Amino acid sequence: MTKNTPRELFEKGLIREDQFNKIDVINSGKVVSVFYELQTLLYLGVLLFTSGVGILIYMNIGSLGHLISIFALILLSIGCFYYAFKKGVAYSNDSVKPVTPYFDYVVLLGALVFVSVAGYLQFQFGILNENLELVTLITSVFFFYIAYRFDHLGVLSLAITALASFWSVSISPQKWYSGTFFETANLHVVAIIFGVSVAAIALVLEMKRIKIHFTFTYLNFCSLLFFAGAITGLFIGEWWFAYLLLIYGGCLFAYVMAMKRKSFLFLLYAFICAYIGTTYLLEKTILRDAIEIWFLYSIFSCGGFIYFIIKYKNYFKQK
Amino acid sequence: MNHAYNEVNLYNLAVIKESKRWSSQGLIEEVQLKNIEQEYPCSFYHPNIIIRILLFIATLFALSGVTGLLALLFGKLGEGIVATGCLMYGTFSFVILDRVLVNQYRHYKSGVTEALLYHACGFAIVGLSWMADFNTYFVLITCLLVFSYAAVRFLDLLTTVAAIGSLAGLLFYACYEAGGIFQQVIPFVFILCFGSVYVITRKLKKHNHLKFWLLNMMIVEVISLLLVYAAGNYLVVRELSINLMNLELVGGQDIPFAFLFYALTIIVPFALLYTGIKHKDVLALRVSLIAIAFTVFTFKYYYGFGHPEITLTVAGALLFGIGMLLFNYLKKMRGGFTRENHLAEKWANLNLQAFVISQTLGGNQSGVGSQIETGGGGKFGGGGSTDSF
Repeated sequence: MTKNTPRELFEKGLIREDQFNKIDVINSGKVVSVFYELQTLLYLGVLLFTSGVGILIYMNIGSLGHLISIFALILLSIGCFYYAFKKGVAYSNDSVKPVTPYFDYVVLLGALVFVSVAGYLQFQFGILNENLELVTLITSVFFFYIAYRFDHLGVLSLAITALASFWSVSISPQKWYSGTFFETANLHVVAIIFGVSVAAIALVLEMKRIKIHFTFTYLNFCSLLFFAGAITGLFIGEWWFAYLLLIYGGCLFAYVMAMKRKSFLFLLYAFICAYIGTTYLLEKTILRDAIEIWFLYSIFSCGGFIYFIIKYKNYFKQK
Repeated sequence: MNHAYNEVNLYNLAVIKESKRWSSQGLIEEVQLKNIEQEYPCSFYHPNIIIRILLFIATLFALSGVTGLLALLFGKLGEGIVATGCLMYGTFSFVILDRVLVNQYRHYKSGVTEALLYHACGFAIVGLSWMADFNTYFVLITCLLVFSYAAVRFLDLLTTVAAIGSLAGLLFYACYEAGGIFQQVIPFVFILCFGSVYVITRKLKKHNHLKFWLLNMMIVEVISLLLVYAAGNYLVVRELSINLMNLELVGGQDIPFAFLFYALTIIVPFALLYTGIKHKDVLALRVSLIAIAFTVFTFKYYYGFGHPEITLTVAGALLFGIGMLLFNYLKKMRGGFTRENHLAEKWANLNLQAFVISQTLGGNQSGVGSQIETGGGGKFGGGGSTDSF
């Protein structure tokens, strides 16, 4: 790829003149887009501001300045939503293009500030002190509403994580390696059930053609939860064979999804989980000791896998 | 030294990839993309990123099996032989990669190649260093040579980073060992050296026959800039002086040339920002933004007022405000800069963004419930939110 490539394509008649003119200014660096830099600024802004505010509102409780700042935050949130409702287009079942490049971040800021303030007010006046989990549920419902109303994938993923945390399961790789993924016993069962049911709902929504582009996010979170739960079950319980069957079922489902949607992330999940499951099965049954056999196993299983992928490479191509 | 790939294929692949980006932004039509793909055929095996990750993991597993078996067979033969064996095994891996995978099967960054390449680098370096009894100079020089070879021959980006890192390590170690005045001038040596690396790389980028290494050169550029900035940064110099050179500061004492480092901490990022805007250099622009953030952190670190939450809030509001202002300012194209997203970045994926948001912006609500009983509700109710998901 060089600076002259667009001209070359143009001279070969592969692109038209108007296209060449557009592409050439971009390719030669005469026009530079700072879209991603500015989006990163906005994202960092939201990240820092909401975490700052989240701490700030719990400090100096009772002073006058404090009341003013709470009031200012409420105003800010209202302002964000006023902007969103005024500028944004009406709800649609399809994907909606944001009206301005920063529209999504205004919505995100509004939603996060609103949730912070609402959480604080609940903390202060204790409306729901009897059942605190309800706070997460309400948050989740609020996020779902915002996500669907403004077609916002980021808020949708916040909604799903909030809904999961209402059932006390967390979806976070950070929890994985700190070893506290499922803090209490049997949470992995909850995770599996949660994963299956939310995935089912997502597929039903897709069949009704409501926000088809949301399905990937749903399925991604669900498969993470499902496989994390099933693998935990595999390792801890006496019921490992049942969990193994569950994993195989999940892998089959993920494989079908991957092939149908040509989204290879599910393929990755399916292969890795199936490999973990099968290896565990072999360890439990035939390959009990002898380290040499394990080395041979890794060579032949992975080697065979690589051979398979490369042999059927056309099958694994994106469109 | 030349790279290992077929040039026609490399060029055609680059054209196809770029055309795909144009097509995804609607700059050209689907039919035209098909025509371009036919006109620029590419016989490389270069699968998509997920398949690459899968193949990479699988290859590492398979290779660890091979290594394990070899270790069982030859592990007890004594140190000298094992060291030579490592080197031979590494070299053998390089040859297999070069002759069989790349040359015969036309793999190009397929996941298998990366795994085999890093594996080969590792064994070559360990083997060679072992023969020299892990003498630090020798290890660093070996790293530099092997990583540079891998980077140049296989156009690999990670080993490019590793090569620059080894160069920096070597430079630092040489000055550090020389002692005395040499230890004091390490920052200036770094600024001079990597400043020149930056300038030379920028010159080399213009050469057409080096076009296949363009990405490698961009990485070298970015890392040199970051190193130049870090070498002049007050915080880095001060903390490294205290920790590595046993500099002891009592009372109102400051590090030598403190004033100069303060100046550099401020000047370098803004100079970069200026060049970035002036020459429309996106790389310099991005590095300057990171540098500015670190400069702010440096000053906050020594002249902070406590209250991280106020800093966070204000910084967030500022960033958001600046972002919004610039977005509005660039509604029209100004000075060649535009806010329109005319080419999708490779990593810019809406689903990925959503995932990042869910992992970092936990919302600030759920901590409240769980923290109230512990009495820490005030302090951590919001801040700890990310963990509670």
